[in-house]
Amino acid sequence: MSVKSSIGRLDQEKVVLVISAAMFLIFAMTLNGFATIPNILSLFQSVSIIGALGLGMAIVIIGRGIDLSMIAVMVMPVAWSFMQIADGMPVSMAFGFAILIAVGLGLLNGWLVAFVEVPSIFATLATGMILFGGMQYIKVQSDIIQLPPVLEWFNTVMTRTTLGVPNSMVFLLVLSAIVWLFLRFTRQGRFIYAIGDNPMAARTTGLPVRQIVVLQYVLAAVLALFVGNVLAAMVDSANTRLFYSNMMYDVILVVVLGGVGLGGGKGRISNVLAGTALIGILVNGMTILDVSYMVQNLVKASVLLLALVVDSLINPRDEQTSQQGDI
Amino acid sequence: MNAMNMPLGGQETTTGPLVKMKGITKEYHGVPAVKNVDFTLERGEVHALLGENGAGKSTLTKMLSGVTNPTHGVIEVDGKEVRIGSPSDARDLGIVMVYQETSLVSSMSVGQNLFLGDEARFNKLRDLYIQAQVILHSLNFDVNPWDQVDTLGAAQKQMVEIARAVRQNARVIIFDEPTATLTPEERAHFFSLIGRLRNQGVTIVFITHALEEALNVSDRITILRDGEIVTSDVTSNFTQDSIVRDMVGRDLTEELYGHVEKREARQAKGEVLSVENLSLGSIVRNNSFTIYGGQITGFFGLVGSGRTEAAKIVSGVLKRNFFHGGTVRLGGKPVRYRVPLQAMRDGIVYVTEDRKIEGFFETMSIGENLHIADLAASPEKGSVIRMSEAKELFKVWKEKLSIRAMSAEAKVLELSGGNQQKVVIAKSLLQKPKLIIFDEPTRGVDVGAIAEIHKIINELADSGMAVVVISSYLPEIQHLSDRILVNRGGRVVAEFPRGATDDEIMFASVH
Repeated sequence: MSVKSSIGRLDQEKVVLVISAAMFLIFAMTLNGFATIPNILSLFQSVSIIGALGLGMAIVIIGRGIDLSMIAVMVMPVAWSFMQIADGMPVSMAFGFAILIAVGLGLLNGWLVAFVEVPSIFATLATGMILFGGMQYIKVQSDIIQLPPVLEWFNTVMTRTTLGVPNSMVFLLVLSAIVWLFLRFTRQGRFIYAIGDNPMAARTTGLPVRQIVVLQYVLAAVLALFVGNVLAAMVDSANTRLFYSNMMYDVILVVVLGGVGLGGGKGRISNVLAGTALIGILVNGMTILDVSYMVQNLVKASVLLLALVVDSLINPRDEQTSQQGDI
Repeated sequence: MNAMNMPLGGQETTTGPLVKMKGITKEYHGVPAVKNVDFTLERGEVHALLGENGAGKSTLTKMLSGVTNPTHGVIEVDGKEVRIGSPSDARDLGIVMVYQETSLVSSMSVGQNLFLGDEARFNKLRDLYIQAQVILHSLNFDVNPWDQVDTLGAAQKQMVEIARAVRQNARVIIFDEPTATLTPEERAHFFSLIGRLRNQGVTIVFITHALEEALNVSDRITILRDGEIVTSDVTSNFTQDSIVRDMVGRDLTEELYGHVEKREARQAKGEVLSVENLSLGSIVRNNSFTIYGGQITGFFGLVGSGRTEAAKIVSGVLKRNFFHGGTVRLGGKPVRYRVPLQAMRDGIVYVTEDRKIEGFFETMSIGENLHIADLAASPEKGSVIRMSEAKELFKVWKEKLSIRAMSAEAKVLELSGGNQQKVVIAKSLLQKPKLIIFDEPTRGVDVGAIAEIHKIINELADSGMAVVVISSYLPEIQHLSDRILVNRGGRVVAEFPRGATDDEIMFASVH
């Protein structure tokens, strides 16, 4: 029964991959300049940051939470450390402080969610704003902070290619592999799935539920900081205005679109990559078509709704499938 | 109010059966839950539906009440073919289902719940309460229409549900295990009510696991096994033995429903746990008891007598009152746990009464479930894990507890209730307990697996473990326990040796 149902059943990830492939073919046949190697490379480059943030978001969502503070962690400590380096602080010290700030915010998020039991959506919304506002108040008053000259090599690395693949893409793939290994082959990774699946059962089974929840948020924060550095290297500066953009929603979009269930316990790294690929193809195609930003957002939103509707049509979650035990 | 001027269901004059289901099949992902079933309901009868878990009882009634739709087959009401696509279609035909978990809005009053969805355009509360009072009176229900639902007990909630069904002029009322949460007095009241509804011409269908109830109350009995109807006949043609035979397809009667096994009580092997004046809010009050190794201590009591909560405090799932919460001593040493993990490290494990809510992980396979429990119990194994361990664990425990499942990759959710319970027990045993607490170990478990689970529990006690069994089913307590502690009002009120009679124990638990 189980074998049959798991092979025969389409899931959201496959639906998304099929749609992506179809889109790719349609664009390739109808759009001039779409199916060229430089374009495909720039396509993946443009979504690698969203995808990388999506990996951190996926960890938290699989563990039945959500982390809205990721963009603040991505921009602020990075901008702050660049300013400190420009003011003469040693690079290692500035980065060390940035890591401390990110870990601290992750611990705060985890503590609020796991111990104070604030719903994660509110806790991380607030902490993200506190971090952004606080660091703006202390130091980071300008919007664009240039990459310090000592770090120019970083920019050179990130804009090069390895074996024809842009390094930003390599970065996403390596990071995916690391997160995949973590979720699949470590005790903590398995515990995150178990807690997301059923927190009550996880507790009675004797899992350290609260500690694992804290770990989720710390990982997401550290990952966001890392991605922030990579992004700054790619574009040669840290842009704090990203905090006000709808990047956070794009991150949630690629995670949920690929089939990571918001209810927790469900989803894999391949889901995030599938969602990232679809959004990348869509945005790139629409940009070539010169579709306005407004319409692009409308299309993205419609695709998300479509994926959710198709998923619930082929995998109905009626009372029966959720309680197969008592047929 | 439209309820007042619709014709009463029982007065219709059409002859022939009220409901006829012909050739009904229901498949989930190509797996049939109900196979080509013909099921008939006569007017004004009480019809009991029996069968093991997974036999298809719930699926059958859900199709009748519009919750799910049949894959193949025809349903006829009053001889006319009908399509029951949703619960509201069913209600229009006069078919209402009353669930185990009540479907009342708990923040509203009884009267508002009775008329929920059928309110007059100008909803004058005073008229509504008068009409609600009329209905409740006519059914002889002792419930105030203006009481808020969440202040009511289980039996009263059920009364409100029944009153709502009657208000909607139900011709068929379907009950899913109506007596599971009721005390003996409430049960008697429930059955007298069923008798009265039948006399008014209402057809009653009820799903039950209690065979005596089916035999005493029903007019006809239908027994399902593996999605097919084994037999459907007037009740007088059945005996308890024949029902069990039909349900399981083999003869288990003596073993399970026969007399309490004649054996000596096991000797206690030293005190393991002692509890003094344990308190938690108004649920557990000054509860004191002692648990010994190498024997089974049975906790009997009615639902709400604080047994589960006391067990959960001991095993760290719940926290007792911080001040005046009492003392718990494990092997003479006072302990206070904040989380189950700490209790587990000390060798105390609680096997939940509600495996779906806190027993297993439903997106995970059997092997993964066991693996998670093993990881939790063995911190020395380090951070990097081997996925192949899941398969090895499955092989070992499948053998030990005779879990019937195709492979380690099968989802726990797809197993029968008995096999799910075995997986939950295996998870608990992986934690190497010294004291294991089983809360309702055979709830929702099919008859065949009950004997196997009882055997597992007995073997654990024989091996020297301290075993606690909590159950609301007296024969189970008498069958398993070496000593019996009776709970009432949040504390242990009496202790009996093995072999105590039904009357003694029941008396202590009620008075």
